[in-house]
Amino acid sequence: MLGLFNTLNLGARAMTAQQVGVEVTGQNLANANNPAYARQRVQLQTSTPTPTGIGMEGTGVEAASIQQVRDQLLDSQIQSESSVGGYWNSQQSALQNAQTQLNEFLNLNSTSGTSGSSADTQGLSDQLNNLFNAFQSVATSPTDPSARASLVNAAQSLASGLNQSSQNLTTLNGLFNTSVSNDIASANQLLSDIASLNGEIAKATASGGNANDLVDSREQDLENLSKLVNIQTAGNSDGTVSVSIGGQQLVTGNKLADTLATYDPGNGNLLVQTASSVTPLTLSGGSIQGTIDARDETLATLRSGLDTMASSLITQVNGIYKNGYDLNGNHGADFFTGSDAATIGVNPAAANDPSQIQAAGTANASGDNSIALQLAQLGQQSIAALNNQTFSTAYAHDVQNFGNALSNANDQVTNYNSVNAMLQNQRDSVSGVSLEEETANLITYQKAYECSAKLITTVDEMLQTVVNMKS
Amino acid sequence: MRIAGTSYMDSMVSQLNLLSAQQYQLQNQASTGQTISAPSDNPAGMALALNLQADSSTVTQYSQNISTLQNRAAISGNALASLKTIADRAGEIATSADGASSPAQLQANAAEVTQLIQQAAQIMNTRDGSQYVFGGTASATAPFAVSTDASGNVTAVTYSGNSSVAQSEVSQNVTMAVSAPGENNSGSGARGVISDSRYGADLFNHLISLQNNLLSGNTDAISTTDAPDLSKDSDNIIYQVATNGAAQTRLTAAASFATSQQSGLQQNLTSVAGADLAQTLTQLTQAGNAYQIALQTSSQLLQLQQTVLNSLP
Repeated sequence: MLGLFNTLNLGARAMTAQQVGVEVTGQNLANANNPAYARQRVQLQTSTPTPTGIGMEGTGVEAASIQQVRDQLLDSQIQSESSVGGYWNSQQSALQNAQTQLNEFLNLNSTSGTSGSSADTQGLSDQLNNLFNAFQSVATSPTDPSARASLVNAAQSLASGLNQSSQNLTTLNGLFNTSVSNDIASANQLLSDIASLNGEIAKATASGGNANDLVDSREQDLENLSKLVNIQTAGNSDGTVSVSIGGQQLVTGNKLADTLATYDPGNGNLLVQTASSVTPLTLSGGSIQGTIDARDETLATLRSGLDTMASSLITQVNGIYKNGYDLNGNHGADFFTGSDAATIGVNPAAANDPSQIQAAGTANASGDNSIALQLAQLGQQSIAALNNQTFSTAYAHDVQNFGNALSNANDQVTNYNSVNAMLQNQRDSVSGVSLEEETANLITYQKAYECSAKLITTVDEMLQTVVNMKS
Repeated sequence: MRIAGTSYMDSMVSQLNLLSAQQYQLQNQASTGQTISAPSDNPAGMALALNLQADSSTVTQYSQNISTLQNRAAISGNALASLKTIADRAGEIATSADGASSPAQLQANAAEVTQLIQQAAQIMNTRDGSQYVFGGTASATAPFAVSTDASGNVTAVTYSGNSSVAQSEVSQNVTMAVSAPGENNSGSGARGVISDSRYGADLFNHLISLQNNLLSGNTDAISTTDAPDLSKDSDNIIYQVATNGAAQTRLTAAASFATSQQSGLQQNLTSVAGADLAQTLTQLTQAGNAYQIALQTSSQLLQLQQTVLNSLP
């Protein structure tokens, strides 16, 4: 037999155990909207029974531990998907930015009925068309001053458009480098935080306690790190998690073994390496690699395409133009200056004095238009340097390739969002706080607490009876 | 399946965002009338649309070229018609100047021929804007200059133009010229209006000869030489008038072709990038309804959650 005083203790322990249950339920409810939080539950077990004359008798309940409800597999899957999501989100963002800078939007309703964001801000496609149309006008009326002036205007608009696009995309390239640097800094901070959390978790578990909240923080840091760069993790027996990237160990226990750094391979486009061991890393996911790929693949291809088109235009136009004569009988000048999209310009002499435009094929024949006609027809010719496409078709092809990359990124982001939502739902169904469940638990623990209090009251009355037996 | 509290909100927000995005896209299509605005909307469609716009822009330019050429051809045509009138009158004078004509009549005819030469030179110095129509490609200066003696009789009409003509594009790789050179005695190329050695035409020299023969009373030379020569000149001018007419007809056909080409291109552009307004508005209404329903459903879910909280003692 336990005896009245031991029964009192039984009641007290029960109240304590139920109180822990209420506290844990309170913790769960408080973190109901915390996406990083994994619900906890108190593990109740019967306390050690005591031998009595009539056999082993139970001594009540005790709170054995507070466990975190987590699915490691789901956590790993979400980390992995975070890398995928980080990669495609950064690609999407980078390429959307580039699409804005390219300024090639279709507008069927503009007064010119041509491309560009409005009739006043025409895209390169429209400017190319205008150039060759202007050559046509001069070919039809070779001595007409307004036709010549319009040609200068069209050529300057195109040159300026190419300069601007090139400048914008170059600036964007620089911003991507900055983004990579910033993400590296963020990743290093997270690595440091993870190492620090590892240390605290190891201490807590070594002393027999739990580190559920610290584990939540570490998981959140790991997910955030995964968004930046694809990581490989390995759990250790002391509760710590090792982190490696591209086969290079970065976090071991509570030690930050190495960090990430950027380096310039020689072309000004930053890549990633480890800071201490100076080992170049080829990343397979995350926003850092997404930005790098957007910069070095799609953006680089687009910039190269613009440069190739500009240099071909300069070469082809000047090759014909040099043979022409202006209204004053002069000969041999270039029409375009520069060598690529950044530097293309119109010969200042012709720009300032359109009579110096060399439209004629022979001297002293101002009505001769053979050079202007050749230049006009150049717009319909296949150019070898442009994969045997016309200037307009080659540019449209470049725009399509760029559009394909962004469209693909958009699709991948949509796919990621669907998969991520599904995984998050699955994780929430395991680790998320259910208000209904916690409310029911709250009521359960409260009632059990009340009943345990009732037991104490009853035993107290019984003790009072015993005391009153002696007058 | 166990449903966490955050799942409700996340799912609701996700659905509302999706529906908002759909509405935004459809609204954009309805207001712009386009299904494609940016390269990423439909990359292949965008490339096709850009190529169609380039073609359309080129055809517009061809139309402008044609319009310029039509104007120039009309100016040439009017000049040639006036020149034919002069040639016809000169022919009449040559025919009527015979042994029966009195010296006074011959002198009067000579004076008229002198005037005809001056008028013809003036016609042949016709301009289109700042450019001389009948100077070949040396069109900056007046191609014909008349020299006279002290009595005002024409002694020579010199040509300072050339025999080349400029071609202009009226369709892809299709060019045409609407001008003719004043003179071409090179033996090849476009036919000269006044003088062409291939066809015996040399109007000004023949008119000067007629003038001089009328002044000297040499009616035999007029009937045996001047009249046949002027007949060749007249034939040459008739050829020029017919060629000009044919060019104008061809330009009209080219303009019509360009118009139908443009119409086809615009239709293609609309089919590639244009929005079906009825369909878009229907889809927009459906998306709007779905959004409203999602909002109402979310509201009901939130009320249910409140019910759970109210059940606490």
